Amino acid sequence: MGTIVLDAVTKIYPAADGRSAEVVAVSDVGMTIADGEIICLVGPSGCGKSTVLNMIAGFESPSSGRITVSGKDIFGAGPDRMVVFQSPALFGWMTVWENITFGPRKRGVPKAQYEDDAHRFIKAVGLEDFSAHYPYQLSGGMRQRVQIARALTNQPEILLMDEPFGALDFQTRLLMQELLLKVWSEFKPTILFITHDVDEAIFLGDRVYVMSRRPGRLKEQFEVPFAKPRSIEMLTDTRFVTLKDKILHSIREELAR
Amino acid sequence: MTDKSQMTHRRRRLAVSRWRYPLISLVSIIGMIGVWALITGAELVSSRVLPSPGDVLAQADHMVRNGYAGNPLIVHIGWSLFRAVSGFLLGIALAIPVGLLMSYSKTFGAITQPIFGFFRPIPPIAFIPLMIVWFGIGETSKVLLIFAASFNYTVLNSAAGMRSVPEQLVRAGVNLGLTRWQLFTSVMFPAALPSILTGVKTSAAVSWAVLVAAELLAAQAGLGFIITDAGTFFRISDVFIGILIIGVIGLSIEFLITAFERRLLHWQSKV
Ligand SMILES: Nc1ncnc2c1ncn2[C@@H]1O[C@H](COP(=O)(O)OP(=O)(O)O)[C@@H](O)[C@H]1O
Ligand SMILES: [Mg+2]
Repeated sequence: MGTIVLDAVTKIYPAADGRSAEVVAVSDVGMTIADGEIICLVGPSGCGKSTVLNMIAGFESPSSGRITVSGKDIFGAGPDRMVVFQSPALFGWMTVWENITFGPRKRGVPKAQYEDDAHRFIKAVGLEDFSAHYPYQLSGGMRQRVQIARALTNQPEILLMDEPFGALDFQTRLLMQELLLKVWSEFKPTILFITHDVDEAIFLGDRVYVMSRRPGRLKEQFEVPFAKPRSIEMLTDTRFVTLKDKILHSIREELAR
Repeated sequence: MTDKSQMTHRRRRLAVSRWRYPLISLVSIIGMIGVWALITGAELVSSRVLPSPGDVLAQADHMVRNGYAGNPLIVHIGWSLFRAVSGFLLGIALAIPVGLLMSYSKTFGAITQPIFGFFRPIPPIAFIPLMIVWFGIGETSKVLLIFAASFNYTVLNSAAGMRSVPEQLVRAGVNLGLTRWQLFTSVMFPAALPSILTGVKTSAAVSWAVLVAAELLAAQAGLGFIITDAGTFFRISDVFIGILIIGVIGLSIEFLITAFERRLLHWQSKV
């Protein structure tokens, strides 16, 4: 169903003007994300993590190489691959409820089919009392939670998350991580999750990919040796600490290069 | 102090501060009329040059009862409003879709941008003589002039508004599975609305200003006509009345559009 395959994918951004050079954002990336797997992508900033995600989302197309989802080439973006953006891309003129149900409403999905989910997810992110509020009336963290509820209400086979919890405070972040794992255990979506937080990457991921500095390549991958469902106890497990140490070293090498 | 008395205290302070600036404005208006009355009362200038507030009021009463130049006052106001509002509405009705198209098609934008950009800084009244030569002194030339002025001030704002819609918002829409048309009407248009309305407000102000200029030159009825006609015959009170009505209607238009804008853009954060 939601298998993502990248084969020798390279992305070159053209020069913005005559003086600047073109940017090789990612180079020769090959990866397979199995159906229902959670992959976390870490790496120095500017190494091309978002570029990889945007190509899978269909916002950008590869300069060379091939990307398939469920065995098919992708044409543009669609609700089968829901993106959670780094900063909340909400529609300011719509209420929280309207934002969350916007996709299904516009696609002509009958109300009965999305209403329960919308209620459920708005509650899951703790915003049931704010459904009639407008985004400007919410804090940054609350807006981000609306975006997450909106993505989930579309019941995507694939979730593409670009540092979604980066701006949240520690407690909310922990709640969101647990919510994500709970949602995963119900629907088993395939998840590509970009983060700069190694703890988060290990807590959520089945595998963690480390990307090299620009032009970004896949440098190393690590299996996370914990079965799901996971709980926060694992954060203090020695295997967790060892793995974290290895991943940090791998990233560190890139920064020092 | 108890909690309750503190609350009423605070509430009173809030009430005072809410009315503070409107009150100051009111005093300013009364003061302005007072200075006017003083100058004319002390006969510093001849009443043929500057009539007193009382004279103007009396003449206004006369004009309301008897009309001006064979037409009731309301007919003059009606003609002016008709010309201004029709030209304004036609202008923005065309400008908004054309502006949106300019940002949608780069080619169309490249074709039209320099043309509209060229006309933008030219005062619309500069075209009055041409309009009269081309379309005569009837309604066509006036409405066309206002239409063109109104169009020009909204079209570039619409285009700019569309261009400044954040890429991420468009991506979010595409991601949710919107068709091109839905994306246009449900995401890009509302997101560009603040900028479009800024243009519409300017268009409204310009329409009213251009109207009066057009009527100064060629009209048999209208507020601009009253001013020129009265000026020609040295009926200064009538000139004053014309100016006052134009000012009051101009303010009302601005007030209406601002109220409309507030309603439409309530979602915009003020911080
Ligand atoms: N639309 C674009 N046009 C040109 N260069 C871009 C564009 N998007 C990203 N880049 C460049 O590609 C590189 C990788 O960016 P990005 O994928 O956003 O990195 P990351 O998400 O890992 O921080 C950066 O050097 C960035 O400047
Ligand atoms: Mg990024």
